[in-house]
Amino acid sequence: MKKSTIATLISLFVLIPATLLLSRILPGRVHYLTSTLVIVYILIPFFLSFEGKKPSARVLVLIAVLCALAVASRAIFAMLPNFKPIYGIIIIAGIALGAQAGFLVGAVSAFASNFLFGQGPWTPWQMLAYGTCGLLAGLLYFRKDKLPRDPVSLGLFGFISVLFVVCPLLDTSTVLTTLTVFTPTAILGIYTTAILTNLIQAGCTLVTLLAISKPMLRKIDRIITKYGLLE
Amino acid sequence: MHSDGFSKYHPLTNFLFFLGAILFGVLFQHPAYLLAGMLCAGIYYVLLQGRKALKAIAGMLLLLLIVALINPIFNTQGSHILFRLFGRPYTLEALVYGFAVGSILVITLLWFGCYNQIMTEDKFTVLFGNLAPSLSLLLVMVFRLIPNLLSRARQINDARRAIGKGGDDLPLKEKITQGMAVLTALTGWALEGSIVTADSMRSRGYGAAKRTCFQIYQMGFGDYLVILAAVLAAIVTIIGAVTGATDATYTPLLWSAPVSFFLPVYCIYLLIPTFIHVKEVLQCRIFISRI
Repeated sequence: MKKSTIATLISLFVLIPATLLLSRILPGRVHYLTSTLVIVYILIPFFLSFEGKKPSARVLVLIAVLCALAVASRAIFAMLPNFKPIYGIIIIAGIALGAQAGFLVGAVSAFASNFLFGQGPWTPWQMLAYGTCGLLAGLLYFRKDKLPRDPVSLGLFGFISVLFVVCPLLDTSTVLTTLTVFTPTAILGIYTTAILTNLIQAGCTLVTLLAISKPMLRKIDRIITKYGLLE
Repeated sequence: MHSDGFSKYHPLTNFLFFLGAILFGVLFQHPAYLLAGMLCAGIYYVLLQGRKALKAIAGMLLLLLIVALINPIFNTQGSHILFRLFGRPYTLEALVYGFAVGSILVITLLWFGCYNQIMTEDKFTVLFGNLAPSLSLLLVMVFRLIPNLLSRARQINDARRAIGKGGDDLPLKEKITQGMAVLTALTGWALEGSIVTADSMRSRGYGAAKRTCFQIYQMGFGDYLVILAAVLAAIVTIIGAVTGATDATYTPLLWSAPVSFFLPVYCIYLLIPTFIHVKEVLQCRIFISRI
């Protein structure tokens, strides 16, 4: 077995249960710490398998370019302060490069953009949420012709995945930092107060994918075929 | 921040300190320790950021207040009922608990605020460059590309403006269309450029052998001294935490362990960067006064 596979198995089947058990034994508010640790354990396998593959220079630079585009996209739309096309670009990266690379683009863009906007207790959650966004896109659309790839259906996919997957993951971080009891009403309260911002984020993703999914996918696919990048 | 003494230490020293400070900050809920944590983190934050810090701290205190006031609405445990809201009891204990949880949040935000100033991306990649070489290279490239892309985006914008496209006072729909046009143009340029970069990397021997890491930071005597002091203070604090000196409960009854000598040790740990900062400033003053 490869070293990265062993590490993945250890991380998923030993570390996660051990941490969860520990959070039941230890007194006090350890749940925030243990949940963050669990996220780190989920992130590690993705990073390890990327390291283990020893990516070629071309793939490495291609991924770096997509991450940088995702981070820079927010500054390009500086004239519209609330407009964040970052999810759209991560989804496009996932569709073009596959689930694993999509996750990597998401997680690295979240991490890199936090060096500009500030790291915080939300960083691991953002990495997981953004990564999942790229992962889902890759799982559903990469090298598959079953699902329609026109801008409208991609836009809808983006809208739904941001509203129901990415934003709830980010709100979970708020739930864990601010609540003292975890009753259904309290948790629902936090999620509903965030619904407006989440709708805006999902709307931005919809607009981004409607406008640029076609030209961007064409450009990335062209580079991939021209230079045989994913072989 | 070039004027900060602590940021001149080795990234490992910086990272270990923040790791401990944030972990302790999240775990302890004894009111005295929360207050100490907030004060120590706040002092260092103000030293680092100057005037800008005060505004940020005001925002954080507002957040603390909101978290505290909202908590009793959801958490109705406690014996002293202040009043009833929608028929549900609003208790003193839950309110105090809210303040404690809000303080934990503020402490983490403050420490992360300091962390963002000290642990710049170059320090981070120095620290993790050997552990994950491909990922750190990826991160370094992303940081190089962002300013590159932004300056290119400005050029594209200027060119578009010269042919009468784009501008500042456009309706929303136009603004989005313009931004998207810039983004796609940028993508095409960046992707072609990526192949050139990659080929150039390969012809310079990327992947031919194990890459070594450029190390600008060296662990010095001062680093070992600071790490030793931090580890000692942390061990004493952990002993305190294990023996229950940092325990406190809020609901259903307010109770906290008596304050013992572990508290000053905890403060010493948290004040390490502040000591270094103040020492540096004083030394600088003395040297200037001698000239």
